[in-house]
Amino acid sequence: MYKLGRGNRDKVQQFMTITGASEKVALQALKASDWHLEGAFDFFYSQPQISAVNTRHLEDIFNRYKEPDADMIMVEGVSQLCNDLQVDPQDIVMLVISWHMKAATMCEFTRQEFIGGLQSIGVDSIEKFRGKLPSLRAELKDDNKFREIYNFAFTWAREKGQKSLSLETAIGMWQLLFAERNWPLLDHWCQFLQVRHNKAISRDTWAQLLEFVKTIDPQLSNYDDEGAWPYLIDEFVEYLTENGFVQRKK
Amino acid sequence: MATHERKTIDLEQGWEFMQKGITKLKNILEGKPEPQFSSEDYMMLYTTIYNMCTQKPPHDYSQQLYEKYRESFEEYITSMVLPSLREKHDEFMLRELVKRWSNHKVMVRWLSRFFHYLDRYFISRRSLPPLREVGLSCFRDLVYQEIKGKVKSAVISLIDREREGEQIDRALLKNVLDIFVEIGLGSMECYENDFEDFLLKDTADYYSIKAQTWILEDSCPDYMLKAEECLKREKERVAHYLHSSSEQKLLEKVQHELLTQYASQLLEKEHSGCHALLRDDKVEDLSRMYRLFSRITRGLEPVSQIFKQHVTNEGTALVKQAEDAASNKKPEKKDMVGLQEQIFVRKIIELHDKYVAYVTECFQGHTLFHKALKEAFEVFCNKGVSGSSNAELLATFCDNILKKGGSEKLSDEAIEDTLEKVVRLLAYISDKDLFAEFYRKKLARRLLFDKSANDEHERSILTKLKQQCGGQFTSKMEGMVTDLTVARDHQTKFEEFISNHPELNPGIDLAVTVLTTGFWPSYKSFDINLPSEMVKCVEVFKEFYQTRTKHRKLTWIYSLGTCNISAKFEAKTIELIVTTYQAALLLLFNGADRLSYSEIVTQLNLSDDDVVRLLHSLSCAKYKILNKEPSNKSISPNDVFEYNSKFTDKMRRIKIPLPPVDEKKKVVEDVDKDRRYAIDASIVRIMKSRKVLGHQQLVMECVEQLGRMFKPDFKAIKKRIEDLITRDYLERDKDNPNVYRYLA
Repeated sequence: MYKLGRGNRDKVQQFMTITGASEKVALQALKASDWHLEGAFDFFYSQPQISAVNTRHLEDIFNRYKEPDADMIMVEGVSQLCNDLQVDPQDIVMLVISWHMKAATMCEFTRQEFIGGLQSIGVDSIEKFRGKLPSLRAELKDDNKFREIYNFAFTWAREKGQKSLSLETAIGMWQLLFAERNWPLLDHWCQFLQVRHNKAISRDTWAQLLEFVKTIDPQLSNYDDEGAWPYLIDEFVEYLTENGFVQRKK
Repeated sequence: MATHERKTIDLEQGWEFMQKGITKLKNILEGKPEPQFSSEDYMMLYTTIYNMCTQKPPHDYSQQLYEKYRESFEEYITSMVLPSLREKHDEFMLRELVKRWSNHKVMVRWLSRFFHYLDRYFISRRSLPPLREVGLSCFRDLVYQEIKGKVKSAVISLIDREREGEQIDRALLKNVLDIFVEIGLGSMECYENDFEDFLLKDTADYYSIKAQTWILEDSCPDYMLKAEECLKREKERVAHYLHSSSEQKLLEKVQHELLTQYASQLLEKEHSGCHALLRDDKVEDLSRMYRLFSRITRGLEPVSQIFKQHVTNEGTALVKQAEDAASNKKPEKKDMVGLQEQIFVRKIIELHDKYVAYVTECFQGHTLFHKALKEAFEVFCNKGVSGSSNAELLATFCDNILKKGGSEKLSDEAIEDTLEKVVRLLAYISDKDLFAEFYRKKLARRLLFDKSANDEHERSILTKLKQQCGGQFTSKMEGMVTDLTVARDHQTKFEEFISNHPELNPGIDLAVTVLTTGFWPSYKSFDINLPSEMVKCVEVFKEFYQTRTKHRKLTWIYSLGTCNISAKFEAKTIELIVTTYQAALLLLFNGADRLSYSEIVTQLNLSDDDVVRLLHSLSCAKYKILNKEPSNKSISPNDVFEYNSKFTDKMRRIKIPLPPVDEKKKVVEDVDKDRRYAIDASIVRIMKSRKVLGHQQLVMECVEQLGRMFKPDFKAIKKRIEDLITRDYLERDKDNPNVYRYLA
């Protein structure tokens, strides 16, 4: 044990109570941040919390869900996992989890993805995992994380070997994602796509739609027709005005 | 040097002598009888001054004499000049003034000679005003200052009288105004401040009142006539008696009052304004309008706007007329570009001729009017008539002129002239690529079916097009024309080859035109099952071709071929001129008298569309070579066909036409596809050099690059940008989605 001043010892205590980390981890974090508590928290939470979980437990969990004849968790395993976590496989939290696992494809986890993901989430048992769900869900409220998850969703949801996302999947993903955001034009958007577009969605359109949702007000008053918005979004704006869903004031 | 002691002259004594001389001078000036100054008189006077100035102090009287010099003038002016001017008025006063001023100048000249020694030594040493200046400024200070107001009013009232048509003494005015200039001793201040300012103000008032009545009472042409006349007169006025520096200012005043103030009122006059002049072709008035309005700042802009509007309306009316004519046409002929459209193009050409003449003659080729004409033509030249774009109409128009037996019968010169004009109209059309594509289609037909009337005209229009649109535009067309020349040569060689190898002779005369793929429009090449006779021909030609060149692949386009076949009917044998497809179909009946539709389709290996077209031309049209069961006007898959041995015709040789498929849709599609490539290429080119660029700039540069060929649609550009993003040529900037980066 190091010789610590009273103040510093208090900080270690405080740090351990809040984070639930071991004394060793607490010391490491506090030293790294020059004994500022706030800094230490940032340090702690930004690091993959390898030290907090036990790798061997993680292997066990993976093995519980993996396919018998492949080193992967497939549809069966995923639904088993959902069962154990007591969430609907359609729940958006599964997207957040997949994002943490950096999963390449929907409903599939490789060993590396799964274990890395659990480490980054910082859990080593299903119970702890279940306990983490509310905080995982809360990550969607963070703008930057939402953007990352949103953009991740495109790659994750698209079919292998395809450049763009099939319309049906895209609409499903949008409904899931924007339900979080309460985007008032969501239904019009989905309907517009089915009526007018009926083709796959490119990554650019996918990414720009989030910008559109975030920056353009539902009355479209700050929409610039001359701007670089993807063609499809231009058409959508036209569709909204033509059909009188939105009265644009200039 | 004379060193003897000179006798000192004192002031009174010397001045007394001088006084005599001065009095003599005054008498001469007043016209009293007095002998002229002799040189002795003059020498004596000069010497006196010299002596008085060169005596030793205190007898040096330079200073005193300098003052006395001035006093002599003052005395003369007060006693003689001013009283005589004060008792005269108006024109008489002006005459007196002129006289007095010229006398005064004489007096200054003489006196300054007498006192000349002062100038040489005393004045230059003390930097005093020289004698001449002193003399003239006396007049200025005493006379000019007192009466300049009266003089100015008298002059201006004379000018106003002249404006109203009276005769006035211009020489007098000229002399008076010279005083204003001379009195300034080299500066124009007196003329400008004491006279010109007032004149300009008076002029403004004068014409402002005139204009107020004229604009109400006169028509636009009359008003312009008056205005032009006024300007001319004012200019003459300057030449006659005003100082030349006044010309600009004076004319500006007049222009301002007569034109600038009423410009719009004048142009918009309901029954005689610019609109009406254009409508009634008042060429002279329009020229006058140009001359007048080119004088005032931004005066031509509204005129050119009205001109543009007028031309646009005329053109749009022509489009409307053609529309109406087209909609009255029989529905089945709607898709064909017919006579009405030819007339329409003619009319547009006439319209252009007419207004080009206006621009160069009435409007002296001013750029504003060239621009107005261009903009006006661009408006209606890009409208199109009943579904046909003007690009197509122009191409068809050219075709009609260039092909054999076209509807236009013209002399060689007239053809050249018309082609020239069509090419000039093309400048207004934004879809030049569409024109090129249609033109190539028509050119191909002319060349391949030997319908071109004159090779020289073909080449001449290509030269014209090349001059206007650049070499890239015409390179394919030129290639096509050249191909055909080469092909003729080829054909002779082929015939030689056959005569040298009689064993290869297929027994049929065969002519093949070998073309360069890239130059010609793309044609679909089907694997039609040719009759064995024809297969043999093809084989022979292939063998011949191989002897001439290796590494080249021949693709046969049978759909463009023609055949002459002799058909043995019961009555007589008739030579039928048909297409290769028609011939292939007819030859099937050499082996069977009756064939069903489906048998024909399988034996020919052609698409249904084609077979229906062929059968229709042979069994439902004018010449019924085949009998159809059931006998009606349309082909259906259950029909059966039979060789019509009873067929006959009064001619020995007949041509059985096969109506061409409507190519318009394909041309438009081809052009669309080419445009996508062109936009892609342009975007990549721009981004490659700029690396990072905002959306708007990229779109603008792209439009600029492509504008010479066509006007790309913003939406199309956007789509291409997105496509390039998907294909990883570009990406959006991470922080600003309005900015693109080039991915090398």
